[in-house]
Amino acid sequence: MKTLLQFKNVSKHYDKKTVALSDVSFSVNEGELVSIIGPSGAGKSTLLRCINRLIDATSGEIIFEDKDVLQIKNKSKMRALRTKIGMIFQNYNLVERLSVFENVLHGRLGYKSALVGALGFYSEEEKQQAIKILQSLGLDEQIYKRCDQLSGGQKQRVGIARALIQEPRVLLADEPIASLDPSSSKVIMDQLKKICSTLGITVLVNLHQLDVALNYSDRVIGISKGRVVYDGDPASLTDDHIQQIYGSDREALNLVVREPKEVAQKI
Amino acid sequence: MAVDNQARSTLINGGGPSFQKERIKLRLMSKSRLAIRLTMLALAILTVVGFLTFDYRDVHLLKGIMSTFANFKTIFAQPQLAHFSLSEAIYQLLVTLSLGVLTTLIGAIIALFLGIFAAENLSNKKVSNVIKGFVALIRAVPTVLWVLIFAVSAGLGSVAAVIGMSFHSISYLTKAYSESFEELDAGTIEALEGCGASWWQIVCQAVLPSSLTSLISWTFIRFEINFGVSVAMGAAAGAGGIGYDMFMDSAFYYNLHEMGVITYLILVVAMLLEFMSLKIKNKVRS
Repeated sequence: MKTLLQFKNVSKHYDKKTVALSDVSFSVNEGELVSIIGPSGAGKSTLLRCINRLIDATSGEIIFEDKDVLQIKNKSKMRALRTKIGMIFQNYNLVERLSVFENVLHGRLGYKSALVGALGFYSEEEKQQAIKILQSLGLDEQIYKRCDQLSGGQKQRVGIARALIQEPRVLLADEPIASLDPSSSKVIMDQLKKICSTLGITVLVNLHQLDVALNYSDRVIGISKGRVVYDGDPASLTDDHIQQIYGSDREALNLVVREPKEVAQKI
Repeated sequence: MAVDNQARSTLINGGGPSFQKERIKLRLMSKSRLAIRLTMLALAILTVVGFLTFDYRDVHLLKGIMSTFANFKTIFAQPQLAHFSLSEAIYQLLVTLSLGVLTTLIGAIIALFLGIFAAENLSNKKVSNVIKGFVALIRAVPTVLWVLIFAVSAGLGSVAAVIGMSFHSISYLTKAYSESFEELDAGTIEALEGCGASWWQIVCQAVLPSSLTSLISWTFIRFEINFGVSVAMGAAAGAGGIGYDMFMDSAFYYNLHEMGVITYLILVVAMLLEFMSLKIKNKVRS
């Protein structure tokens, strides 16, 4: 399989003391669904945002489609890069006052001249494409609804539609199910899996839920304090690795959920 | 419970000796709270001292209040036209109203652009600070003073009023608009940036639609202010309109009956404006 994305010794320092990523290296093949797991503040979000340059890495190389994205200085080249990378977020980040349809079409802005996009002119083909994607996500009845009238799961599906209409090579998902209930979470994860397997789009997803990561992904990358501490099959993730990633073993993690009283007493 | 006293005092005051008799404070006394209390106390003392040391001269307080009420009665209970007809009054009212519309419109258009560049999430910090500092300076001087300042070059009259009032409207609306823009969730901007959208596309497709309601309501508030100021400008700066008639009635003819008519007319307009703004806001929201 072809390598689509490669991190080579990537580091990110916010200032001299705060290190978000240090010396991160890994590669992602085309059509893979890769989960990135790790505790809060480990640098997962920073890692994703370095890929589409919403955050600039301090040093290293990020090779996407055989080019180093960190070398892009030109604004139009940056926009061209970003059109190839879709992104969805924990808080959906839609324009709540606009309709579902308009929000989905925002995914096409990167392809348009500044003026045409600013005025909100979209071609008929783009509109048809948007409707097709919305139908495939089961949102065809909500097309003209305003986004603030939707449920969380529906909003996240609009977010996915906005990313898909970009016709991306890779989809970055930053904690896509962290604010959703279990059944909506399942719908979203199933969709991501489907996108990966049927459309061949590579998916990188940040997750807090270890069980979800193990169930859905082709590969797991574990991050702790800005360093990659595990990179491999979900099946071969051992207790030692989990200990390394989260600083506590599998049983201790379960304990927090199952017997909160006992934990409280310990404190 | 087998918690000994030593452990309890550790919990309450971090290991120091226990002060069990003292009541537990709800909030810690901070510097700002102390400052607020001192200010309130000083204001209260000043108010009492002020009332005690007023120089009433020969005016009898009760009599003064009574005659004021008598004047109110003349104004509000017996309104009557004397020097001009109702249609003339309405025409003058329209002049005042259009002064308000014009200055608000000029202010809104310029402030929209300044507001975008003054919003910290859309512009860089330096530009934003420069614009914000500049408009704060303009806002610190009252509208009437700006009109009088421009009257030096333009002469007293409508020109000075339009320039001066627009000037103040720009600074007021720039602050209001930029704060509305800043309320937009940073994630939304980030998401559109991630799609490859350009800066102007983000402004037009995300920022403006999201803040439209508050833009409209701020503009209407400023319009109401400007209408009030236009009335005053008619008198103070000779800008014409209903304010000038009111000034003539009060200072020249001393005709309280006619002032009553004008007051009612202004009241009706103000209420209409309020009603209109409510309607428009509801329409935009749904």
